Formats: sequence, structure tokens, C-alpha cells
Amino acid sequence: MMPDPAAADQRRRWGMAAPALAIILAFSVLPLGVMLVYSVLTPGAYGSVEWRLSGQAWLSVFIERDIFDDSIGPALAHFEILGRSVLLAFATTLLTLLFGLPTAWFIATRSPGARAVWMLLITIPFWTNLLVRTIAIQEMIRAEGVLNSLFRWLGLIDAPLQMMFTNGAVLLGMTYVFLPLMVLPVFAAIEKFDFRLAEAAYDLYAGRLFCLRRVILPLMRPGILAGSVLVFVPALGAYVTPQLMGGGRAMMWGNLIDLQFGQGRNWPLGAALSVALGVVVMVALVWLGRSRPDGRSHG
Amino acid sequence: MLQIRALSKTFGSGASGYRALRSVDLTVNEGEFFTLLGPSGCGKTTLLRLIAGFEPASSGQIVLDGKDIAAIPPNRRPVNTVFQNYALFPHLSVAQNVAFGLQAQGRPAATIAARVERMLALVQMTHLRDRRSAELSGGQQQRVALARALAPGPRILLLDEPLSALDLKLRKDMQTELKRLQRETGLTFVFVTHDQDEALTMSDRIGVMHAGRLQQVAAPQDLYDRPANRFVAGFIGETNFLAGHAGPDGVVLAGQPASPVPGSTHLPAGPVTLMIRPEHVVLGPDAPPGLMLQAHVERLVFGGTHTQAFLRLPWQEPLAARLANPPQGRLSLAEGDSLPVCLPFAALRFLPPEAADDA
Repeated sequence: MMPDPAAADQRRRWGMAAPALAIILAFSVLPLGVMLVYSVLTPGAYGSVEWRLSGQAWLSVFIERDIFDDSIGPALAHFEILGRSVLLAFATTLLTLLFGLPTAWFIATRSPGARAVWMLLITIPFWTNLLVRTIAIQEMIRAEGVLNSLFRWLGLIDAPLQMMFTNGAVLLGMTYVFLPLMVLPVFAAIEKFDFRLAEAAYDLYAGRLFCLRRVILPLMRPGILAGSVLVFVPALGAYVTPQLMGGGRAMMWGNLIDLQFGQGRNWPLGAALSVALGVVVMVALVWLGRSRPDGRSHG
Repeated sequence: MLQIRALSKTFGSGASGYRALRSVDLTVNEGEFFTLLGPSGCGKTTLLRLIAGFEPASSGQIVLDGKDIAAIPPNRRPVNTVFQNYALFPHLSVAQNVAFGLQAQGRPAATIAARVERMLALVQMTHLRDRRSAELSGGQQQRVALARALAPGPRILLLDEPLSALDLKLRKDMQTELKRLQRETGLTFVFVTHDQDEALTMSDRIGVMHAGRLQQVAAPQDLYDRPANRFVAGFIGETNFLAGHAGPDGVVLAGQPASPVPGSTHLPAGPVTLMIRPEHVVLGPDAPPGLMLQAHVERLVFGGTHTQAFLRLPWQEPLAARLANPPQGRLSLAEGDSLPVCLPFAALRFLPPEAADDA
């Protein structure tokens, strides 16, 4: 029998994709599978899991039993933490957009040589260890830190401002950490923007705001969406920055998961919480992808 | 009426500054199809961009209806532009593109809808109103760009080489189309092109530009028949230039100083360039009154309706002649022939020597 060329071609394609598929399988699908399996097992006494099926972990994601009267109610603490995490991720996305957009615009409108330098400056923090970055920010805003010293020297304040361990501090840290992730895709979008279109808009009686709203923003939408996803998704699971900047007073979903695998010794619950976060991210992505499919609804 | 007064534009500054426009004076009449013609880098696009307001003038005035608009930003000038690459908004449909200017002006929705319909009908694009620009052919994009620029009802329509991206056949069609639109709307068009055929066939008047200066402003036929200088004569159509000299008896050819051209004694003494179009050169003994020369046929090139004869005069100056091909048979002419040639007096033009291009 003649070998089927189409089938051979198919085999070759699979062969070429195999390394990538293997990596995805080993480092993405498999761990997710482990998480799913762990979430329906029984917690071991000293961490890890016992291989007995149990719905307890998933139940306690949503429902909690009052320790005083054994009454059953929704797990309000979890919902509060989730709400806080979503809010923080949302606020971080908005802030990085607010700062990232003008920054990206500024860089994209420089000469090619200057552009490379600015991009390097923007991405240097990105190459730096997360802990080092966060501690550097702490150094800026702590009671005896750079900012307070500066304000005192300028005579603006008498006593140091309490900036550390506030919501503002958490937002500052998050915005700083995630800014490059917003700037890069937005920069790419602006760089591709045909500025003759802005000229055409001005010629057609558009003011700056009208041009921004009706021409520039709609055409930068893919870049803004990409940046928003890149910031929102990891921000939702962030726990190092909120922990260090917020002093661990306001728990995030990431901290909650961390807790279950650490002190809580409840791996199934940790796994269930992780999967739940994954679902939230998926929902958010679908929502982002489907919102405002037409540039016109901006106006 | 649009009046340009002593308009100059220098890019950069100091000695390294590039003087794109050098004190241009120009009046464009109401309802006129006016063309700015010149080679690339002559300043025609710069002049258009100054009228549109995309570039600030270095000095001079742009007066529209008695008001100097040189300092007014483009979004408040009553002029609209058809861009060379069309610059259609890729995220908007055809109808949305046409509506853009009206929306930016803040016109009522009903007015916008009615006006968009009229404009789409005018450029015959109603059936494609919901397409995006990426889904349109070059000619269709061109029509949308026209409708978009016409929709807000500008006082003047500026067109920046709008046909240069189209292939020849489509370009010819769009030339007719543009002319029709201009007649129907009665609007003043200022059209920029480097294509002399386009300029000659479409324009009411043409302004020829070179090196940042307006060389001559005239109707197409006058421009062709009576070019003001050697640049205009050479840029529009094919031309023979022959070295000459103005003296007390009139103008003579440098190579044949014995026979002056009658009625040319008014020119100041000095060097003169004689100009004659190839189609006006007469071959053979049977000739109208003119300068009679002897020429050697170097090469004959068949061109369908005509044959181009490349001749050499006894003093080595070249001379091209354009001969109508007879209904049948061939020209009684062959390469290598030597024959009498007549330059009719009525077809000879005298051009001043090139002025040094300093200020």
C-alpha cells in the first residue's frame, strides 16, 4: 500500500509540535490536573493529602460552619477576600493603564534610538527580583524613608506620614510592579499607529479629545486589552506585594492559598481555592475578550 | 476666493534650514479646478499642507474669503483634504468614515444621516456603506475618501496626489469622476500632482512649481503654448531647446546667425533660448514661413499615431520632430537621410536664460 502523503504530513506536524506540547502538558496541564485531584481529597494531618475522596474542600470554599453554634452559612470571609483581590487587580489595571498609556505614548513618539533607551529604563525593574523591587519601594515610603525625609526637609510635614501598610501602599507597589506589563503591549500598539489618521481627524474638525476617543483609543484597543490581561491576571493572584506593602493586614486570595499550603495544612482547600481563582480568571478573560467588540460604542 | 500672499516655509532653522516654499503668491478663484504641478520636492505638497493647516507658515498670509487663516488650526479651517494614501479610519465602516467630520462638527443626527446618504450616492458607494476600508479596492477607498472630505461641506477641497496609488485604467476613470464631482458640487478644488497629463486634462488653471517657487500660473493650453521659462517648457510636454542670440536684427539661432526671426527685435540683446514643440517641426521642402535648416535623420521611432524623428543639426544640436503617420504606407523618410527642416515662425518661442537660483 502506498503511504498516504496527507497522513505523513500530519505526523510530521505533530512531531514538530511535540516538544511544545510536551512542555505544556508537563508544566501546565499536569499541575492543573494535580490541583483538581487534590481539591477532592482529604487533608493529611501534617500537610499533603490522604487518598480518600472528599467534597469537604470545595464545600468550605463556599460554605462555613460557625464554630460556636454549628450553624451553616456562606463563607463570607472567602467572598470578602475574593472581592478584595478582584478590586485590587482591577484598581491595579486601571492605575497601570492611567500611567502606562501616556508613558507608552511618550516613548513611542521618540526617535528610534531614544525609544530603545526609554524601553530599557521601563523594563529594568522587570528584570529585577520581585522582593528587591518591593523592598526598594518600602524604603521610599517608610517612616524614615526617602519621601518622608524629603518632605520634612522641604518643611511640608512635621511628623512622618504613615504611608507603609496602607491600601495606598499596596496599590503603589502593585502599580510599580505591573507597569512594564502594561507599557509594553500599549507601546507596540502606538508604534504601529498611523499618525496620518490623527491628521485626517484634525482635518475633519476633530478636537484633541474627539480624536483621542474616536480614533486613537479604538485603534489602540488590542494593545490596551493585551496589557490589561497581562496585568489583571497575575495581579489577581498576587500575594508577595500585598503582604509586604500592606503588612499582611488585608488578606488577598493569593495569601489565602498560601496559608492553606503552609500553616493551614489544608492542601485540598488550597487546591480548591487555586482552581476557583483559575475559574475567576477565565471568566474575566472571556468578559474582556467579548466586551465592546465595536470601536463605536466608546463614543 | 483663496489668496496666498508671500507665503514661505522653512523646515529646520539657520543655514541648515530647508526652504520648501519661497514667497509664493497665488490666487485661486471661486469654483475653480486648480492644480499645483511639479516634480517631487518642488514644494507643492508643502503648500497644500500649509493651506490645510498641518504645518505652520514661516511667513506670509493665507487669506480665505478675506480672512487670514494662517494661524487657525486645521480642525477649524473650512477646508478638507483627500490624502494621498486616503487615510481612512480602519476601525470604522464606509458610512461611519463619511459621517466622521459631521459628527466632529456636532451636527444633529438627522442632518448627519441625510448628508451621509447624499455623499454616498454622489460617489456611488451606497451599496458598500457597511464595509470596512480594508475590504475595499483602491478605487473604492478613493471614493470614500472623497465623500468623507466633501461631507462637512468645505469651502475648498484639497487633494494630495489622490490618484497616484491607482493603476492607469482606474486613474483615467477617476480623473473623469473627479472632474464630474467638481462640476456637480461647484466647489473649489486645489489638486496636487506630479503628473502633467493629469494636470493638463483636468485643470481650469495650473500652477507649476519648482524649487519652492511658483514658476507660472496659466490655463493648460496657455501653459503648453507659452511657457514662461525653460523649466515650465521642459516639464510640460516634449520640447526642443536651441541656443540663440538676440541682436539688433532680431533673434537668430547660434548655429545659423545669418537668418533672424522676423518681429523679434523687441528682445534685449543677449543669449536667448529658442523653443519649439516636436509636433510643430516641419520636414521636407513644402513648408510654411520659418527658419529653414538642414538636418540629418539619426533615428526613427514608431509610436502608433505618430513617428518620432530624432534629427541632428549641422552644428550638432539635436532636434526632435513628431510626424503624423499617414493613413497607409510609410513615411518617405529613412534613418541616415539628410533633408530640409522648417521651424515655423508662428511656433517658435523665446525663453529668457535661466536665472541664477539664489534667493
